[in-house]
Amino acid sequence: MDNSLLVSLSQQIAAFRSMDVIANNLANMSTPGYKRETARFEEYMEQVPPAEGQTGKQTVSFVKDAGIMRDLSQGELSHTGSPLDVALNGNGYFVVQTPAGARYTRDGHFSLDPNGQLVTSEGYPVQGDGGAITITPDDGEINIGTDGTVSSVLNGNANQIGKLQVVDFADDSTLTKQGSNLYSTTQATTQATASVQQGMLEGSNVQPVIEITHMIDVSRAYQMTATLSSSQEDLMRQAISQLGSMPAAA
Amino acid sequence: MRALSIAATGMQAQQTNVETIANNLANMNTTGFKQQRAEFEDLLYQNVVTPGSQTSDAGTYAPNGIQIGAGVKTAAIYRINTQGDLQNTGNPYDIAVQGAGYFEIQQPDGTDAYTRSGNFSLSAQGQLVTQDGLLVLPGISIPNNATAVTINTQGQVLATVAGNTTPQTVGQLELTVFPNPSGLNSVGSNLFLQTPASGSPQTGVPGSPGYGTIQQGYLETSNVNSVDEITALITAQRAYEMNSKVVTAADQMLQQTAQLGGA
Repeated sequence: MDNSLLVSLSQQIAAFRSMDVIANNLANMSTPGYKRETARFEEYMEQVPPAEGQTGKQTVSFVKDAGIMRDLSQGELSHTGSPLDVALNGNGYFVVQTPAGARYTRDGHFSLDPNGQLVTSEGYPVQGDGGAITITPDDGEINIGTDGTVSSVLNGNANQIGKLQVVDFADDSTLTKQGSNLYSTTQATTQATASVQQGMLEGSNVQPVIEITHMIDVSRAYQMTATLSSSQEDLMRQAISQLGSMPAAA
Repeated sequence: MRALSIAATGMQAQQTNVETIANNLANMNTTGFKQQRAEFEDLLYQNVVTPGSQTSDAGTYAPNGIQIGAGVKTAAIYRINTQGDLQNTGNPYDIAVQGAGYFEIQQPDGTDAYTRSGNFSLSAQGQLVTQDGLLVLPGISIPNNATAVTINTQGQVLATVAGNTTPQTVGQLELTVFPNPSGLNSVGSNLFLQTPASGSPQTGVPGSPGYGTIQQGYLETSNVNSVDEITALITAQRAYEMNSKVVTAADQMLQQTAQLGGA
């Protein structure tokens, strides 16, 4: 098989993948705590026998997936006014207990369940320093401090309810995404430096201008490769028709 | 190619977002209405290369995996239960709750509903009812010959009857609180129903710990902030547009693919 077609094919697969990643970034523009991603590619070299009339080693380079990089920069904090919405400013994750084990999230939109436990949108309990945090209607107005301390003022006295657990990881770019704004990992947790902001949510860090520009780049690159494939195909067709044509009978 | 369906999930999510904003703006002047917000979550990921996969037996690991997302979904549309402004109306049967709590209303089928909207009136029998004629529980009857009705912050209803200068207690308004008021099911007409998510209702006297107080002659306005909503609307509209651009670009790529090998 002709290598040039295969090289084009590898680029086209890469372009499709880039497009998927861009589409996912744009689809999650309004997802709290979402971190934008970029597909990274690398060159794959292959040795081929020298073409006719040439000597020495010849290489053909293909493109292949290297990984998807997560941009972990801070998303913008937007005010929601809901007392149980909390945003993390800086590095760190909230800890959520799911049936499959501990999960980590930067989406701080929490609510209460029927038992008064602080839970995520999926109903999983958010972990405090001593397990789940329970808030009763008697607690009144809830305050969440920048260190995650959940408290209220009861009959003029401070009433500490719990403290949100905020953790960090030595290498948080390898956390596995689980969907539903959750991450999982086997890494050990470290002390987080993030501050907790009540009544706010961290938006995604997707920048539409960058994504759209990227998208144009990808579709142009794809277009060029498609043109290349077409001309390769034309060459091949010509070769077949010209070389294979039988001289007319005399 | 997933980009098409991923962008479609994005467009759907933004449509839900715009619908929520439209409903907030439509209810800007609804008594006791609470602003809603759509909340989004990323969908499942396909692991092409799991992050932290081993790349050699020398213990080297891929620093970044390849996880391809499938788009976005609406996780919840939640109510922001902050206090609305209190607006003076001067009507003695307009009652606002300042703080936590709902009025308990008896529905025609006998079951209970809950509301923050305290624009009540009297029925033909002199009972306190909502604008739809539903009884406000525990049932307050105002004597026919009452000349003035006062409701204090603790919810005591006092009526002054003709020929008597001392007001008499004719009833006690109660408030109901829930462990999770955001979990109440909104059924229209400013009414809410109990759900497994809201937890069980606890009824108490206004002003006691955990319960709000009563303000007679006031109504609680909606807590919708029009500036916030318009800003959110612009953002949602732009996000929708971006996602539709992805659909166009993905479509063009597929079109070029279809043309390969043509002619």
